[in-house]
Amino acid sequence: VNDRVVAVARAAAFVIAALLGCAVIVQIAGYSGIAMLGGIADGTFLAPNALAHTVRWCVPLFLTATGVVVAFRFGYFNIGAQGQLYLGAIGAAFIADRCAGLPPVLLVPLAIAAGIAGGALWALWPGWLRVASGTDEVITTLMGNFIAGLVLVYVTTGPLKDPSGTGQLAAGREIEAAYRLSVSSGVSPVLIALAVAGGAVVWWFLDRTAFGVLGTLNGRNPVMVAWQGASAARIGIAAFAISGGMAGLAGALEVLGPDGRLVSGFAPTIGFTAVLIALVGGLSIAGTAVAALFFGGLMASSLYLPVVAGLPAAAIDLINAAIALLVTARSWPRWLRLHRAAE
Amino acid sequence: MIDTLLAIVRSGTPLIYVTLAAVLAQRAGIWHLGLEGLMIAGACAAVIGAKQTGSAAGGILFAIVVCTAGSALLWFTIEKLRANPIIAGLGLTGLGLGGTDLAVQAIYGSEAAIASPVGLPQIAAAGGESISTLVAAMPLVVAATWFLVRRTRFGLHLTASGEHPRAARAVGIRPGRVRLIALVLGGVLCALGGTELALGSLQIFSVDMTAGRGFMAFAAGIFGAGNPLGATAAALFFAAVDYLGIRAQLVLGENAPRQLILMLPYLATVAGVWLSTWLQRGRSGGPVSAELRDY
Repeated sequence: VNDRVVAVARAAAFVIAALLGCAVIVQIAGYSGIAMLGGIADGTFLAPNALAHTVRWCVPLFLTATGVVVAFRFGYFNIGAQGQLYLGAIGAAFIADRCAGLPPVLLVPLAIAAGIAGGALWALWPGWLRVASGTDEVITTLMGNFIAGLVLVYVTTGPLKDPSGTGQLAAGREIEAAYRLSVSSGVSPVLIALAVAGGAVVWWFLDRTAFGVLGTLNGRNPVMVAWQGASAARIGIAAFAISGGMAGLAGALEVLGPDGRLVSGFAPTIGFTAVLIALVGGLSIAGTAVAALFFGGLMASSLYLPVVAGLPAAAIDLINAAIALLVTARSWPRWLRLHRAAE
Repeated sequence: MIDTLLAIVRSGTPLIYVTLAAVLAQRAGIWHLGLEGLMIAGACAAVIGAKQTGSAAGGILFAIVVCTAGSALLWFTIEKLRANPIIAGLGLTGLGLGGTDLAVQAIYGSEAAIASPVGLPQIAAAGGESISTLVAAMPLVVAATWFLVRRTRFGLHLTASGEHPRAARAVGIRPGRVRLIALVLGGVLCALGGTELALGSLQIFSVDMTAGRGFMAFAAGIFGAGNPLGATAAALFFAAVDYLGIRAQLVLGENAPRQLILMLPYLATVAGVWLSTWLQRGRSGGPVSAELRDY
């Protein structure tokens, strides 16, 4: 059988296993597992407007996940996408706040560029620590998420605080309608086009440029690449910068698009979900796009579950966690294998 | 002075128990990012157990059952399904965080926090202060863990299984089984850490109450280079930074840079990992073989 078909079938099997497993857990916890699965189907595509919500979440998830694909393919375990997304959002919000008055054709690209720069910079310090001293990036990027979350709280209660806002919600000023890329909580052709363009650029970079292929080789066999004379430091820094930049782009689009303002602690699960999307998608851009649609649907339905099935939204976290537990599995114990050659 | 030290030890004890679990896993060659999930599961199970049985012992027992089950699940996915330990560990953390959230809402309705009627028994300590039994037992557990990994046959097998599984297998050790024991023992330690966090002084469980302590414990394990005593010192350092931040907030009041103070433990963790890498530079081989990182 074709390798690709096997990979797709395997990823789909893990996702279905995780869904069913969680339905059983939810049933044991005293809710209805069937209602949960029904609620997910409703929230993903059956209910009116559900598909729009799915695509709305798919955009930031896909962009962030393409960044994760770059880092993982290049051999670096960047799991700090959440923090990089936050810094990107802060960068975009800062431009939108301080440069208000510029014509939209100038300000919007500037804000997006600031978002990409913010995300890339937040990825650069763990990248530099990794390249310069070998400090493990798993723990530094993870801690970076916590730190970035606090930076976001600081910014939304301090420098960028909405002066007219009440004390309850820590958020920045609403962005003027002229600078918005979509109406509130929706998608727009511009957002989808930007996501497609972002994905296409990353695909072209990874699969059609010499540096991208070299980086992918570095992820598989760093010793060989070093012996060929390539600079491991350059590859490492590029991996972190591009990966952080994509997360930053996603954060900027959240602020300029559906959210319309910088909100403290927004979308707290995108970073972790993006890692899952990259892995379920088999670290390919096309696979990532398909996986992003599925996880976007899950994220959209987490808003429906409390209403439709009376279930806490934590059930979606549980499904994601179960997928994470299984997605990288490479073998099955003998008693679970259909036949020996399945390995 | 003595009450400051006591306060640091008291607030650092949950972290130290989980750090010991990190050390055991690290010696077994597993990068254990599931500690955060095990710790929160332990804290939640301790409060539920204490609430249902009316005794702290019931809480500890239930926490141990839940955490060892979680550890066994992680072992199964890593060892039998050959999943990537880092991603599987993050998955376990997600299960712990989401599962406790769901459990609290399923059992007690839509409350973000649940209180326990009983706490751990308290013991009188220096300066008229009292400490919980788990704080008092902590130095003994640290010493016992050190003895286990540095002075027993099992400790040698553990290190061998982590550093060179093939060589270990060649002399008749079964690395898979050694890893299972290490992870399950770590599960017990996470249960104790979670119990102390929830029942030590506050007698409360709230969603997300671990706030990254499990990841800090993992970093303390790296900082200590797999030595239980060094890792304990690192955990105490993180606890001291945390404590000084809270003190600064009390002293400075409204003027305190709140977010910066809350950041301190995370910044200290980054600095600690960087420092340990820098100190161990040039020494051959880290604690984790490269083959565990690929997938």
